[in-house]
Amino acid sequence: MVQKKARDTWGSRLAVIMAVAGSAVGLGNFLRFPAKAAANGGGAFMIPYFIALFLLGIPLMWIEWTLGRFGGGFEHGTAPGIFHSIWQKNRFIKYFGIIGIFGPLIIFIYYTYIESWTLAYSFFALSGKYRALADQAAMKSFLSGFQGLEKNQYFSSLAPAYLFFLATFFLNIVVIYYGIRGGIERLCKWAMPALFIFGAILMVRVLTLGTPDLSKPDWNIFNGLGFLWNPDFSALKNPKVWLEAAGQVFFTLSVGIGVILTYASYLSKGDDVVLSGLTASSTNEVAEVILGGSIIIPAAFVFFGPLDIQSIARSGVFNLGFVTMPLVLNKLPLATAFAFLWFFLLFLAGVTSSVSLAQPAVAFMEDEFDISRKKAVWIFSIVAFILCQPAIFFLKNGVVDELDFWGGTFFLVVFATVETILFGWVFGMEKAWDEIHKGADMRVPRVYKFIIKYITPLFLLFILSWWLLKEWLPIIFMRNVSVANRPYIFATRIGLLAIFLILGMMVRIAWRKKRVLEGKLR
Amino acid sequence: MTAGGWIFMVISWGAILLLAIFCFWKVFTKKRLE
Repeated sequence: MVQKKARDTWGSRLAVIMAVAGSAVGLGNFLRFPAKAAANGGGAFMIPYFIALFLLGIPLMWIEWTLGRFGGGFEHGTAPGIFHSIWQKNRFIKYFGIIGIFGPLIIFIYYTYIESWTLAYSFFALSGKYRALADQAAMKSFLSGFQGLEKNQYFSSLAPAYLFFLATFFLNIVVIYYGIRGGIERLCKWAMPALFIFGAILMVRVLTLGTPDLSKPDWNIFNGLGFLWNPDFSALKNPKVWLEAAGQVFFTLSVGIGVILTYASYLSKGDDVVLSGLTASSTNEVAEVILGGSIIIPAAFVFFGPLDIQSIARSGVFNLGFVTMPLVLNKLPLATAFAFLWFFLLFLAGVTSSVSLAQPAVAFMEDEFDISRKKAVWIFSIVAFILCQPAIFFLKNGVVDELDFWGGTFFLVVFATVETILFGWVFGMEKAWDEIHKGADMRVPRVYKFIIKYITPLFLLFILSWWLLKEWLPIIFMRNVSVANRPYIFATRIGLLAIFLILGMMVRIAWRKKRVLEGKLR
Repeated sequence: MTAGGWIFMVISWGAILLLAIFCFWKVFTKKRLE
């Protein structure tokens, strides 16, 4: 008889909640959310934000937790196997599941590099490397030199960035090498509380800034909070604001990637998913709305004033995190300590997310090819390391943006739409409702039966078509790409297509092997 | 900060904190339906 190895499991319920919350809490919570809220109606932004959270984010969270646990019961930890378990009569549905491995792998290959910048800046904060820089232009030049975009007085090569990338990559591999319980669970158990403590310290520091320059009484912390929270109701008439809110909720919860499916597949059949999913979501929201909303924008307002903050808020996530924030922190007493806390907070948010992005590919090899975790991690690390190189060396040619568009935006919405329709319509709402409530510690309000079946898929289809027409078509046709960068973008697309096709072939081989094995057993 | 700003901030923070406290309280008390 063929003996399958036992799958890994979570050590406790709190561990899986922390791991899923760790996956969801990322750089976006501290950088993307405050910038989006400030630019899209301030306090009024929270109206579409909460609507999207309850109609899109939380239902998707419950869908993924339930599907993951269901698939885990069939020893499948990734979307091809999970989708096949739901719709066994359909031969093609497992191929849609490829997105659930492809997406996280693609995000992993550029996210790890960006995460390594936060580790580098934590080190620079302690060593005082950028301590003397006092304006945006100098700090921008420091960042560009570090990223290898230009050679300047701060950096003459990409070597420092590459060293920090190697350290970050190695750390990620070590964590996944030790598995769910020995690696990811152990990391999240200390990293998540540390992240919240660091965030709380920084929040208290920012909220007690008062009016640092008494000659400019309007540049105070209350007006800084007001820049983020004062409602502009006219923004609600703009459909773009509603879509920005939906997009923020979607990306912040890590839904539509395939990571939650994999994490939930390590639950037992009787483990609760309703309360655990809601707890992980609420933990993410605390990090985003309370901590994320109280650090960077109010602090930047206090030091740069009401005029500059407009352009700062629109300057993009990297500029906010790596240019504005170090300048702000440089102006505080104990600058070294606070700057280290800020960048290490981002690093912790990054590493708890990146290990989750690696896990689907590892789980796919373990579950569908029945190879050991250690061997799967070796294969993953070699492949991922090679794939990371274009993101590092061709950053200036727009490769990271291209990877982010396909892996971190386009396929996320497609994948979420497929799994929502599968859950509500193919699996069937009655069966799905029973499955959600197996071992549940609380009941999902009955209105969600209607929301999950009709509202969430319609919401997703609407977002998909709107973004496709308004934002994605120019990206797909490379309308905003310079002629010089087009070959790089084209080559990235060919590479992505090749990865997708290889994953498709792997799914085909895995299922063929299974059929042969089943035939032998009969 | 305007009164509207305070209202939005307090309601948003309050709603999220209440949800998180409720969830963690339930997690630690562990009442099963079955």
